[in-house]
Amino acid sequence: MWSLLSIALRNVLRNRRRTMITLAALLLGVGVMVGIRGVLNGLQRALVQTAVSGQTGAIQVHHAGYLKNVIASPLTLDMPADEDFLNKIRKVPHVTAVAPRILFAGMINVGDQTLFAAMQAIDPKREFDAVPLRKMTVSDGGRFTSGKIADAVLLTAELEKGLRGTPGQAQLPAAVLGPDKDGALSGENITIAGQLKLNLPGEKKLAVVPLALAQRLLKMEGRATELVIAVDNIDHIPEVAASLRRVLGSDYEVHTWDQVASFVKQAMERQNLILSLVATVFMILMLLGVANTVLMSVLERTREIGTMMAVGVRRGKILALFLIEAATIGLLGGVAGGLAGLGVVTWLEQRGIEVTMPGSAVPFIIRPYTTLTYLAFVVSLAAGGSLLFAVYPSWRASRMRPVQALAGG
Amino acid sequence: MSLVEIKGVTKTYQLGKTEVSALRGVDLTLERGEFTVVMGPSGSGKTTLLNIIGCLDNATSGSYKLDGEEVGTRDFNDLAEIRNRKIGFIFQSFNLIPVLNVIENIEFPCLIRGENKKELRERVQQVARDVGLDPFLKHKPDELSGGQRQRVAIARALVTQPQLVLADEPTANLDSVTSDQIIDLMLHLNREKGVTFLFSTHDPRVMQHARRVVRIQDGVMVDGSGSAQVEVDRLNAAQHG
Ligand SMILES: Nc1ncnc2c1ncn2[C@@H]1O[C@H](COP(=O)(O)OP(=O)(O)O)[C@@H](O)[C@H]1O
Ligand SMILES: [Mg+2]
Repeated sequence: MWSLLSIALRNVLRNRRRTMITLAALLLGVGVMVGIRGVLNGLQRALVQTAVSGQTGAIQVHHAGYLKNVIASPLTLDMPADEDFLNKIRKVPHVTAVAPRILFAGMINVGDQTLFAAMQAIDPKREFDAVPLRKMTVSDGGRFTSGKIADAVLLTAELEKGLRGTPGQAQLPAAVLGPDKDGALSGENITIAGQLKLNLPGEKKLAVVPLALAQRLLKMEGRATELVIAVDNIDHIPEVAASLRRVLGSDYEVHTWDQVASFVKQAMERQNLILSLVATVFMILMLLGVANTVLMSVLERTREIGTMMAVGVRRGKILALFLIEAATIGLLGGVAGGLAGLGVVTWLEQRGIEVTMPGSAVPFIIRPYTTLTYLAFVVSLAAGGSLLFAVYPSWRASRMRPVQALAGG
Repeated sequence: MSLVEIKGVTKTYQLGKTEVSALRGVDLTLERGEFTVVMGPSGSGKTTLLNIIGCLDNATSGSYKLDGEEVGTRDFNDLAEIRNRKIGFIFQSFNLIPVLNVIENIEFPCLIRGENKKELRERVQQVARDVGLDPFLKHKPDELSGGQRQRVAIARALVTQPQLVLADEPTANLDSVTSDQIIDLMLHLNREKGVTFLFSTHDPRVMQHARRVVRIQDGVMVDGSGSAQVEVDRLNAAQHG
């Protein structure tokens, strides 16, 4: 068996040019796989962070049935937002912050222009503890975020343009109108305090108002429709969600960020699918290269195969010989490609890639990264795949008739 | 009991729709320790006969007993084992394994049957000495001349201490001086070590060295009992007549 291995390894070095070409193909294929996976890792980490720390929080709590009925009755399924209730949540291990919100459909009026808007009432003192990155989406000179101006409102560019043509002069007097649970419409005077950028695709006509103002307007003192919860580490999300379900009971529903922002999860799954398809195509192409190399080698060495058979080598050993050769090439190419990919990904990680998602105005920096697990996976894929694709030519070699092989085919 | 007993062996190749009869009823008996030359023009069936005797191919019909055992219907791996244990091959085109050096080529058939490399070393070096390859043990085949390569092949055939060595036109790719050396070597090994050789050739010159010559033509034995001297006389007569 040792002599077989030694013969196989020497044969890999025998036709250097062909081995190099095959290795180069494997290197490219594996390198591209590691590179794309690395960039996707960075992108997805940024996406998750944007969602979790910029909008959804790690976990959200609603009244039971809220998410299913949110379109029809956004306010009837409300919940307490008093300190006692919030403290119950804060006591759950790994929870770092809780912020109440009220989401409702309302109207904004400026001068003689009135527009429907998706309204989000947040508590400026708590919101940015729960979703710290969200502060970066606000440009208001601190008027809203400080919480000092009680009637400040933030509008998206889309909404502001609709209301007064060109955005610009801040602190314009305006009014917000909204129907309460019973449908009674009431209004409050507000001041446009600044602009809100969107960091994820979604509703474009969005207005953010202070929670206290909304509670007054909607006659919901001490209540909220949504609690946004931050945890110390993303890995603790499932554990915290389970604890919350236990603590809060069946009157409330607990969702993790990926259930709320399912489009982020779906986008990631789509990206992963595309990567798998691209990687599969790449992999098959380069493995066909390996198969071709083995086949050429088999055809070239027909007489040698015949000689081996003549002196008593069994079919299984002939098969093994060519399989070992292919697996060796696959392993070498895989390791080379893995290292090359790792190099590129590490370089990109240090450099960073700035991107702006479609539907979002906030650019973020992708820092690609890869994992040892993935590297091990692609290397075994290259080696295992090479082995698999070499089965047919190697089998052909092992099935040759000795006489015919000795005659050169 | 004879080493090789062949009776009524035929071999038919299927070439598309036509059948080619390479052997049409060959009888041949080889005794241990003989040095036999199979003589015949190109296409007469020498290779086919040696392949069957070497258990590389099956006869279409007829009986073949090697060492008293019917070879007939055995599977590939059984035949591989018979070849490995009982038969040594020397080919026209040397057929060494290019990635192995001289020593490794020689010991290869022994390693296949699981012999220990260390215990082999002595024997391998002895065989290499016997064929005069001492100074080239670490050379790769492509660093050797044709004659040296054929010496490696002879050593490889002998190292397993086979009962029969088959040499199919082993001198066809060699110049005449080297051919003579290789034939002398084989005759010497036959005399000194008692190795049984079956040697095929279409070169009449070679026959002068042989003790026993069998002639084959169009797949049948023309004169199975001819002695070398009779053959030489016949050839001389044919050339002068
Ligand atoms: N694989 C084969 N298929 C068809 N015909 C063959 C094959 N091998 C040999 N033959 C034919 O059988 C005959 C004997 O061939 P061979 O034994 O090689 O003769 P020799 O070795 O004496 O030159 C020739 O006519 C040859 O063409
Ligand atoms: Mg021949």
